[in-house]
Amino acid sequence: MPNQLVAQFTLAAENVGAEVHAIADQQELTAYLGKRIDGPLLLAPCPSLERLDLPQVMEQAGLNVVIDNFREQGAVAVAGLTGANFGIAATGTVVLESTAEAVRIATTLPEKHFVLLDPQKILETADQAVPLLHKFHQQLPQAYLAYISGPSRTADIERVLTIGVHGPSELHILLMEGLSDDPMER
Amino acid sequence: MNKQERSRHYQDRVRKSLQKPHLQDTLHRFADAYVAAREAAFAGHDFEALRVAIGEMKDQVRDNLSRYQAEFVANAEAAGATVFLAQNASEANAYICNLAKERGVKKVVKSKSMASEETHLNRALNEADIETLETDLGEWILQLSGERPSHMVMPAIHMLKEEVAELFSEVTGKEEPAEIPHLVRLARKQLRQAYLDADMGITGANVAIAETGGIALVTNEGNARLTTTLPKIHVALVGLEKLVPTIEDANRIINVLPKNATGQLITSYITWIRGAVPCADESKELHIVLLDNGRTALAESPHCRDALRCIKCGACANVCPVYQTVGGHVFGHVYISAIGVILTAFFHGLDNAAELVRACIGCRSCVAICPSNIDLESIILHLREVIGEEEGVGAGKSLVFKQVMRNRKLFHGMLRAASLLQKPLTRGERTIRHLPLFFSGLTDWRTLPAIADKPLRDLWVNIPQKIDKPRYRVAFFAGCLNDFVYPEMGLDLVKVLNHLNVEVTFPMEQSCCGVPALYSGDRGTAVAMAEQNLDALLQDNPDYVITSCPTCTMALQRDFTDLLKDNPVWAEKAQRLAAITLDVSRFIVDKLDGKALFADASGGEKVTYHDSCHLKRGAGVWEQPRQLLSDSGHELTEMAHSDRCCGFGGSYSFTSHPDIAREILGDKIQDINASGASCVAMDCPGCLMQIRGGLEKQEIAVRAKHTIELLAETLS
Ligand code: SF4
Repeated sequence: MPNQLVAQFTLAAENVGAEVHAIADQQELTAYLGKRIDGPLLLAPCPSLERLDLPQVMEQAGLNVVIDNFREQGAVAVAGLTGANFGIAATGTVVLESTAEAVRIATTLPEKHFVLLDPQKILETADQAVPLLHKFHQQLPQAYLAYISGPSRTADIERVLTIGVHGPSELHILLMEGLSDDPMER
Repeated sequence: MNKQERSRHYQDRVRKSLQKPHLQDTLHRFADAYVAAREAAFAGHDFEALRVAIGEMKDQVRDNLSRYQAEFVANAEAAGATVFLAQNASEANAYICNLAKERGVKKVVKSKSMASEETHLNRALNEADIETLETDLGEWILQLSGERPSHMVMPAIHMLKEEVAELFSEVTGKEEPAEIPHLVRLARKQLRQAYLDADMGITGANVAIAETGGIALVTNEGNARLTTTLPKIHVALVGLEKLVPTIEDANRIINVLPKNATGQLITSYITWIRGAVPCADESKELHIVLLDNGRTALAESPHCRDALRCIKCGACANVCPVYQTVGGHVFGHVYISAIGVILTAFFHGLDNAAELVRACIGCRSCVAICPSNIDLESIILHLREVIGEEEGVGAGKSLVFKQVMRNRKLFHGMLRAASLLQKPLTRGERTIRHLPLFFSGLTDWRTLPAIADKPLRDLWVNIPQKIDKPRYRVAFFAGCLNDFVYPEMGLDLVKVLNHLNVEVTFPMEQSCCGVPALYSGDRGTAVAMAEQNLDALLQDNPDYVITSCPTCTMALQRDFTDLLKDNPVWAEKAQRLAAITLDVSRFIVDKLDGKALFADASGGEKVTYHDSCHLKRGAGVWEQPRQLLSDSGHELTEMAHSDRCCGFGGSYSFTSHPDIAREILGDKIQDINASGASCVAMDCPGCLMQIRGGLEKQEIAVRAKHTIELLAETLS
């Protein structure tokens, strides 16, 4: 029941502080981003994003899109945009194959992280992700795989939950249909 | 440092920590929030099944350690990592320092790693003129304050925001307000540039996976992701016990770890890293230092090796009443709380563990919460024996145990004599309110019962038992407190069991269960007591042996079998006794269908129930006494933390740690008072002595009663 999974995913992701929105197309995406950022956006390499021709669409809309030189740009960028390989409904997690350094920088340094996820690719539990982890390890001699659930958080001072310590303080999960049905894409 | 000095230092630290009420407040509030969050996180999961599976998996790794280690090394190296096996802390530190020097590293960023605390890696790097920066917020705070973590998961839990603000002000050179969001932002800003500047990133690992040669990191802040991404060199310092066979196994641990650590369903980040991943335009240089440092020795210790199952969730601290009272700087060395006691002994030496081993009150709350299914209390008890053998159990105690306790007639003779000697103190009352001079510390926070004029064994012949066709013949094992301090409880037990058509015998040769000796580390005396009692209790072939003290129950059910398991003559007897031993509430409910038998009793009092540690978490009994209380017409109302220790712990509250025991009792009295009950019931004469003593001293009008006493009341 995909709709039920999407609902479960959304609830769990919101519970850990992520924002979840359905996005219909590039234009809506650009508008969504435009309202929330006012500086360089790191666009991480991801096949399904490439198919959307995003750099062009975004530049036309006046967004400052960065597609290379992430090490230098990462320090000044305000946001990163990535594509998730799949999601996990039970915990509201997005999973990103992050072996390419650009993906890691786009998801760690900037203050805001926007991630596109095809709702078809939501699994129910972390156990169901294990076979995919196996596959990644078979395909990638070196691998860096990231489960991301909500923004960066700490409770190290007096146990008070505080958002956004070292990683992004905002995580926006944008559900976009027809993006990709392949959880292994990279 | 000699032993006396060491003890003095330790007692000093205990005293100082007790003077910080905010510490206790923080830890108590955390414990309450934690328990609730954890329960919600595990909703719909079978915790027992999960932890049994983790324990079994970890044991499999331990039993085949060299195989999994070799598999891990081969796979990690195939993926471009360099793996170094460090036998001890200095080898690990030397390897990392040399690497740093060879590569011209000036600055290191670290994400949280207990293994690096264990080896004191920062100190080693600093001595080699390499700058280190802790990036986990809590660890950074501690680096600034020069302290060690007081909790494995929340290292700076002992600090107030005002103290943090002061430290941060020193960094920025201006006064920083003590507002948490501000302080967190400040840390973000201050540490950001360091990731970009650092030449090396050092992390630990939560698991190391043999089948992939990869590691996984479970974190919330995002600093580990930056630490493993930006610097060109990544060093992971990984304890050997982190090895797991497969991704499934890693997933199993990662599923449980955040839930049990902080009550989170999942942490913000789970990061799976295998091999030399891309870094700038090259590949990263990845070094994995596998740390032994006492772990293979621990694997060889039949009594202690289960401790290698630990996944470092920190929960054993969260629920520990001793930790909640004194914090991790006192009840810990590098690793803290129950698991800390054990790991300290193996990683940092018996000497560093000696005081900690005695600081455990034995309440088993850690055992119940541990996701790796470790019987921490039993291991700590064993270490106490080891230290008892190494250092002696103390001259006075040793004399009492060896010369007096092993000789029942002498022991009981002395107890009788004590009953006479105490007369001037009791002034004819049943409790001792004041003790002279030196001993007075023991009664300024609780009254103590007097030793009875006549012990139960002397009263026994005169107790009428008119049962024609008894359903069962049971032997009563009274234990010292029931026999010599609370004989009336024995009379009540006979009354109730007779009412239920059960005949009760009292084997006169029975003596102390030996627990005081065992818990003090005198195994020899414990064995002697076990043998005496086995002969006494099995002599008449009773249908059951009934106890009214759960610590005695555990002795008869668990300790005797353990103490005698290698002796073929006694092992069989010990097992036979264990099989027929039951505490009285469970006997009435499970074997006699007590429910029906109390159907027309009319208790009518508002009663709250205190779960004794050894009854609930030792014998697994908590429903039966509650059922009996409500079946006999009482109104049962639950207090908060009903299964939290009362702070008795036998000699713990008398000689070894009376000041900690007093605090724990204080918490219990508060909970009892807040329940609104006029009576608190329990199934342990030790708890009764402690709780009744605390209530009397504070002049709180709540009766403290053994369940069997309340049942007897309803019959009259
Ligand atoms: S011993 Fe058990 S409860 Fe304590 S830290 Fe280890 S796994 Fe957690």
